[in-house]
Amino acid sequence: MIFATVLVALALVLAWPVPRVLARMTTFRRAPRAALVIWQSVTIAAVLSALAATPVVLLEIGEEAMEGPGSARALATVGAVLSGLMLARVLVSGHQIGTRLRATRRRHRDLVDLLSNAPEVRNELGDPQLCVLQHAMPTAYCVPGLRSRVVLSQGTIDALSAAEVGAVLAHERAHLRERHDLILEFFSVMYTALPPILRSPEALSEVRLLAEVLADRSAVKAVGPVVVARAVVTMAGSSAPDAAMGVGCSTARIRLDLLHEAKRPLILLSLLMFGFAALALGAPISIVVAGWTTR
Amino acid sequence: MARSSVTRLGELERAVMEHLWTHREAGGGSLTVREVHETVGTQRELAYTTVMTVLDRLAKKRLVMQERDGRAYRYSPVSTREELTAQTMRETLGDLEARDRKGAMLHFLDDASPQEIDELKAALAEIERRSMTTSGSTSSSVGVRRFRRV
Repeated sequence: MIFATVLVALALVLAWPVPRVLARMTTFRRAPRAALVIWQSVTIAAVLSALAATPVVLLEIGEEAMEGPGSARALATVGAVLSGLMLARVLVSGHQIGTRLRATRRRHRDLVDLLSNAPEVRNELGDPQLCVLQHAMPTAYCVPGLRSRVVLSQGTIDALSAAEVGAVLAHERAHLRERHDLILEFFSVMYTALPPILRSPEALSEVRLLAEVLADRSAVKAVGPVVVARAVVTMAGSSAPDAAMGVGCSTARIRLDLLHEAKRPLILLSLLMFGFAALALGAPISIVVAGWTTR
Repeated sequence: MARSSVTRLGELERAVMEHLWTHREAGGGSLTVREVHETVGTQRELAYTTVMTVLDRLAKKRLVMQERDGRAYRYSPVSTREELTAQTMRETLGDLEARDRKGAMLHFLDDASPQEIDELKAALAEIERRSMTTSGSTSSSVGVRRFRRV
């Protein structure tokens, strides 16, 4: 029973305290790529531990359970049901979120295509993905997917200098090129698959922040930190006042403070972080292997 | 093949909406398939049925209103171009079903409160100052790739 117990404990630790501690490790934001790898490996490790617990219980009890005490058999059944539920929740949540996201994006892309300049014009501008909405309020975003779009409003073009528009475009294109939407979708699925008591919203917002920091890095590479900083501040200052909701610490501020980090990669920190990610992912796998070999 | 026909349909939808909007702005009422075909269709050498399909698709997307007039249908835009633009913008700002929409589109920036903006401006001044001291007078040379050490 020892391996199965360890797996269950590991699943709980990885699902509850670890994300909360990780979200507080603000140093990790200085190596955003490695940080995202850690988040993914910890999440996958948690799911793996939860799913592997049942087969390992069965493995450990083996034939004893079949003729052994009823309690062992009951325990194995409970484990199997829990693992099955977990798997079902991940699948259902993945399907629901995926369908909804794609439908919203498809509909929105249709609208944006209808309202912005014609594809021929966009091709002449050298960017068939770029759409400009005729609206005075500054906004900038991308619609990810196979037929992705970068959308700017006329208000953004008016409010920013040409170089700052370049910063915004580089930022959004980095999101699309590196498929940050898929990473965020993965975390949304895992978040909703967990029972509410185990969910950590701080993990979700931290992962979102990391994706922004990564995209900012691409923008800094293209136009330098000062221009990106100006673009961030101007865009923050011109959004609709009634839309301001003041959710905790300003992500814009955090991003500004990290812009200079883009210039000097932190190799040692990154290596340590990748090592930790490997360790987290390796833990449930080695427990399963150990359980198998010591049978 | 399938993809190019999808983009072609999208392009036709644009052209038809464009026509309906200009017609409306000029004070015109709703149009029949034949009327749309006579202008948009003949310019592009489209079959009558193609125009009908495009209008039908637009009606399904609730972008145009379809009303019966005798044996024919008449079509008119549900909202003006400006209204639809405003609606599209609102959709991305997440005032409706914010949680659902969140993540559908990736925004350059979340909303900031006025107090945060003051902080941001201070931080920007600091960044500008820092870059002045490290790269001298060239700090304003925007759009130049810089690999200098801090």
